[in-house]
Parts: sequence; structure tokens; C-alpha cells
Amino acid sequence: MSVDVVVNEDDLAEMVEQVWVSYLDPEGVSPLVPTGDEAQTTEVHSSVSITGSWTGHVVYASSTAAARRAAAAFLAMEDGEVSQDDLSDVLGELANIVGGNVKAMLPPGCFLSLPQVVLAPEATTIYPSAERITGLYGTWDGEPVSVSMWQSRSDLKKEEDTE
Amino acid sequence: MRAMVIDDSRAMRMILKRIVAKLNFEVTEAGDGQEALDLLSTMTEVPELALIDWNMPNMNGLEFVTKARADPRLREMTLVMVTTESEQSQIVRALAAGAHEYVIKPFTEGAMIEKLALLGLVPTGASS
Repeated sequence: MSVDVVVNEDDLAEMVEQVWVSYLDPEGVSPLVPTGDEAQTTEVHSSVSITGSWTGHVVYASSTAAARRAAAAFLAMEDGEVSQDDLSDVLGELANIVGGNVKAMLPPGCFLSLPQVVLAPEATTIYPSAERITGLYGTWDGEPVSVSMWQSRSDLKKEEDTE
Repeated sequence: MRAMVIDDSRAMRMILKRIVAKLNFEVTEAGDGQEALDLLSTMTEVPELALIDWNMPNMNGLEFVTKARADPRLREMTLVMVTTESEQSQIVRALAAGAHEYVIKPFTEGAMIEKLALLGLVPTGASS
């Protein structure tokens, strides 16, 4: 069965804003500022896969500095105290939170994987059978942060075939 | 009062721990449902509250809730799911399995304290 995906950039922006307000910027002084720059360079990323009535991935990516700052905020420590394990843990949780909220907007019958974290640029990971369908690109205190959705090509083909 | 925080993310455990510690709970942590059950089996006093993630390796939160509800020793423990699983059907499954409350990530500190207040675990208005 083919399903239309209704998640768009505005939805991703709303989810990201909730994450910032809840954990990364509770004072509301340093929000993620959308730039729309899909070509921005990131250094680390995390993802969760969604399977079922919709198949694809949700990817969170940022610079190392932004990831370090996020980890410091989550763990209530100074940026300089953040270890690589801390970075991985927080990046994974960020992908999990955004991915879980994306899943809630998809048709029923989807399942969420545990997060996967790669301390390397998003560009180093290839999703060979998926295509980026939407994304939110912005900066957090000047550092690049993005959230993108990748849909399985076989899912996309089914959608085309039914149109 | 005692609380157990069960989540595979150390960062999320830290956030939850900070919140309940402010409310004067003594907190223990577990990284998944099985670790939580193992820890609980060694405790002479069972925590009054467990905050439980859903998606975890080894044993997920729903399995933990089901097992905890089946164990007479853990029957008095208040079980709160704290998860990104926000579909209505998932909430119904968790409540049917025996969870008392459901908090969707991301959550603010105030929202979490309000939920705990509704359960009678903290004074109403403690979040303000």
C-alpha cells in the first residue's frame, strides 16, 4: 500500500523547536535559526530508521561544536568536559526524539529502530536505496545543524505507481 | 521517596534524575528493562516511582511494565512511560499493560513535575 508523507520542513521545525525549548535552550535565548542551506557542512550525525507503512530514515547532523554544546546542555557540564561517549549518547537521543515524533505523523503501523551514531560527516553515510524528501537546515549560535528525512526508493516508486 | 530511571540514554537519565532529585527522590538508574529488574530484585525497598523509556536494547519498556505488573513485589510501584512513542495506539498499549502515566519526549521539567503531581507523588504547584 502506498502512503503520502505529510511531514514537511515546517513540521520538522516545530519538533526541533520543542527539543530546543525542552533541553537545549530552555531560556529561549539561542534557538536554531533556519537558513535553508542544504549545502552546509556537518561533521557528525545520527539516525533512526522507520519501517512499516513508511520506510526510511530520519537524520540529525551538526558540527562537532554544536554536538558538544548539545551534550553539555543535556548532561549539565561544560563543553570541554564532554567525552566522545557523551557526544554519541546525546546525538543518538536527539535522533530518537525527532524520529519518534516524525513517526507519530506517519500512517499507523510504523516501527522505530534504535539510533545509530556516526562521528563523521553525514556525507560519509550513503543511504543507497533512499532519497532525501525534506529537511530543516539551520545554525545554532553560528554552528550548522540539520534534520532530514530520507524515504525508501521502493516506497517512493509505489507512490508514483498509484498516482 | 525513591525513584528508578530506566533509559538507555545516559543523557536522558541525567535529565530525569535532575528533575526527580529536585523533588527529593533518591534515584537509581538502569540502562534497560532487564537491568532494572535485576537491580530491583536486589533491593530491600522497592522505589515508589519508575520512569521508563520504551525503545531500549535487551528489554524494552513495555516488556518491563508487563513484567513489573506481574510481580507482586513491584505492584505498588508507580510506572510512568517516558518515550518518543506518541501514537495513540502505543499509549493505549502501555496503559493496558499497567503503566500509570505517559510522558512524551521532548518534555519540559515543568510538564514532568505536573504529571508527577497528578499522580500524587509531589505537591501540586511544585513546578512553579
